[in-house]
Amino acid sequence: MPSPVIELEHIRKSFAMPGGETVAVLDIERFALDEREQVALTGQSGSGKSTLLHVISGIMRPDAGRVRVAGHDITRLGEAATDRLRADTLGLVFQQFNLLPGFTALENVLVAMSFGSAKPDRWRAADLLASVGLTHRLHHKPGELSIGQQQRVAVARALANRPRVILADEPTASIDTAHQDQVIDLLTTTCAEHDVALLVVTHSPEVAARFPKRLRLEDFNRAAVHHG
Amino acid sequence: MSLFGIAWRTIRQRLLTSGLTALSLALGVALVVATLVIGDVVTQAFKSGSGLGYNMIVGAKGSPLQLVLNSVYLISKPIENIPWTFYEEFLPATARPDGVAGTFAGSVQTAVPICMGDYFRSYRVVGTSAAYFDRLTYGGGGPPRLPRWLVRLLGQSTAAAAPRPFAFSAGRNFRDDEFFGGVLGSEVAARLGLRVGDPFAPTHGADDGLVHDPFTVTGILARTDTPVDRGVYVNMEGFYLQEGHAKPVEGAAPAAGSAPGTPAPLPREQREVTAILVETVSLPGLPAELTAMALKTQLNEGRDGQAAEPIREISVLLGLFVRPLELLLLLVTTLVVIVSAIGILVSMVGSALERSRDVAVMRALGARRSQVLATVLIEAVIIALGGGLAGWALGHVLVGAIGPLITTNAGVSATLLSAAPTAELLLVPFLIGLAILAALLPALAAYRTDVAKWLG
Repeated sequence: MPSPVIELEHIRKSFAMPGGETVAVLDIERFALDEREQVALTGQSGSGKSTLLHVISGIMRPDAGRVRVAGHDITRLGEAATDRLRADTLGLVFQQFNLLPGFTALENVLVAMSFGSAKPDRWRAADLLASVGLTHRLHHKPGELSIGQQQRVAVARALANRPRVILADEPTASIDTAHQDQVIDLLTTTCAEHDVALLVVTHSPEVAARFPKRLRLEDFNRAAVHHG
Repeated sequence: MSLFGIAWRTIRQRLLTSGLTALSLALGVALVVATLVIGDVVTQAFKSGSGLGYNMIVGAKGSPLQLVLNSVYLISKPIENIPWTFYEEFLPATARPDGVAGTFAGSVQTAVPICMGDYFRSYRVVGTSAAYFDRLTYGGGGPPRLPRWLVRLLGQSTAAAAPRPFAFSAGRNFRDDEFFGGVLGSEVAARLGLRVGDPFAPTHGADDGLVHDPFTVTGILARTDTPVDRGVYVNMEGFYLQEGHAKPVEGAAPAAGSAPGTPAPLPREQREVTAILVETVSLPGLPAELTAMALKTQLNEGRDGQAAEPIREISVLLGLFVRPLELLLLLVTTLVVIVSAIGILVSMVGSALERSRDVAVMRALGARRSQVLATVLIEAVIIALGGGLAGWALGHVLVGAIGPLITTNAGVSATLLSAAPTAELLLVPFLIGLAILAALLPALAAYRTDVAKWLG
C-alpha cells in the first residue's frame, strides 16, 4: 500500500481583514497525497486552493493542524529547515510560470538547484531541459521563448532537485485551450517518468477530467463550503 | 549557481540601472580620489621643502613667506634684490676680495646666492653657483608617506628619509668657470625634451620677454620630488652678463661682453642677488638652532635684509592655507561620498522593489531568507567595487588631465601616477562598507518579502 507523501490533519487557516473581521479559508480534517499519485484538485475561485498549496509548501503556516511532507512535520520545523525541505522535496509550477526573466532556461533550473541540498549539476539541468524538448533553447531567456516553452522550463525547474511531489497551481490558466492538453500531458508524463506525485490545482473541469483522481475542495474544506 | 552568480545575473538583468548607479558612484569616487590626490600632492610638495640643505633664507625685507615661496618653491614673485656686498658679509676671508671675513661668516657653514627673474618656457630660471648642487642636499625630514604598518609590510624603512646629495641622471653640474653652463630639473628636461649639450635661451621677466643669450645644458638632475625638479639652474656669472641684469652704477666699468668663451665677469658693484640660502654653523657646545636664532635676530634688526626660516614659514603656510584647504576638501569629499551612498541606496531600493516577485519566486523555490539577503548585499558590493575601481582610475586620469594646470598655477607637480596612498588604500574598504550599509535597507526588504502575496 503506497504511503502518503503529503498529509494534512486538522488544518485551519484564516485571514484578518482590514475591517478587523476574520475570514476562515481552510478548515480541513484530513487530506493526503500518496507517492506517485496524480490528483486534480478543483474548486471555485476563492475557495482556498492557492492557500492550500502555500500551506503544503510551507510558504504559509496554518493557524492549527499538522502538515507532513515526506514524513516531516513542517509545522514543527524552523523557517530555514522548511525552506530546505521545500527545495529538496517539492517542485512548484506556477500559473504565470514565474521564470526569472534575467536568467536563461538553463540558469533558471540551476538557480533552483542552488537552493537544494545537492550541488548544482549543469549536465543534469541540461538533461532535464532536454527531457521536456528544450535541447536547443538552453541559453534562451524567458522573453525569447514561447508560452509553451516557458511552461516546459517551469516543469524542468520543478524537477531540479529530484522532488517527491510537484504542486502545480493553475498551470493552464494563462494558456489557450489548444495548449492546455499539451501542458497536462507534459506534467503527467514527466511526473510518471520521474516517479513524482502530482497535485494540480485547477478551476477547469476539462483539465480535471484528464486526471484519474479528482477532488473538489468544497468536499473536504469546511471553510470553503461555509464561505463559498 | 552560486549566490555571486545570481547577484551578477541580476545586475546584468538591470544593466541600465546598475550601470547608472555604478557610474554615479564612479563619478563620486573620481572626485574624491582627485581631491585626495591633489590635496596630498600639494601637502607633500610643501613638506618636501622642509628637508632642505639649508635652514635660513636671506633676502630683501618684506614678507618672509613670499621669500620662501619664491626661493624654495619657485612660485610667487621675488621681493627685491639685495646688494652683492651684503652677500659678501656671509663669506669667509678666503672668498672675499679684501681678505677679511664677512660680518656673519662666523655663523655660516654654507651660503649659496640665487638670482631670479628669468624664465625658460614657463619654468623659473635660477642663477646660482656650482655650490647649489655641490653643497646643498634635498629630501630630508619628510615623514614616510605610507602608514608604518604598511611600510613594514613592504619591507621598507619607517625612519624619516635622510638628506641626500643631488644626483645627475645625465651629465654633470656646471663649473663656476663655465659661465654659460646650466642644469635642468628632471621635470623640465622630461617635459621639454632637452638633453645634455642642448642650448636653451632664457627670456627676461616673462615668457614673452627679451630673449637672452643661450646657455648649454651640462647636466640633468635625477628626480627629487621637490620643487627643484621644476627649476632651470644657470651659472650666475652668465646670468649677470645678460641684458638688463647689471645694476646701473655710475662710473662702473661695463661688462666686457656676453658671448660664450672667456667673457669678463660683471663688476661686483653692479651685482645683486635675489636671496642667499644659508646653512648655519654649529658652534662648539651650542645647538645649531641657537646659532640660527641669533643670526636671524641680528639680520632682522639690520636694514639690509631679512632672514626667514623655511621650515617655520612652511609650517605657517600649512597651518594658514593648506590645512584649512584640506579640511574644506575633506568636507566636499564627505558630501560627495554621502551623495554616492544615497545613490546606491536609491538604486538598491528600486532594484528590491522591481524584483520583489523574483525574490518571492526564489523563496518559493527554497531560497532561505539569509541567501536572499546575501544576494542583495553581494550585488551592492559588486556595484560598489565596479564603480569604485572605475572611479579610482577616472580620478587619476582627472588628476593627469588637470595636472599641467595645477603645475602652472600652484607650482606643484601632479600627474596620472600621483597618489595619496593611505587615503586611497582606505577608500575601497570604506566604499564597500558604505555600499553594504546603503544596501541593508533594500536587503532587509528582500529578506522580509511576503512570498504568498507576490505569488498570488
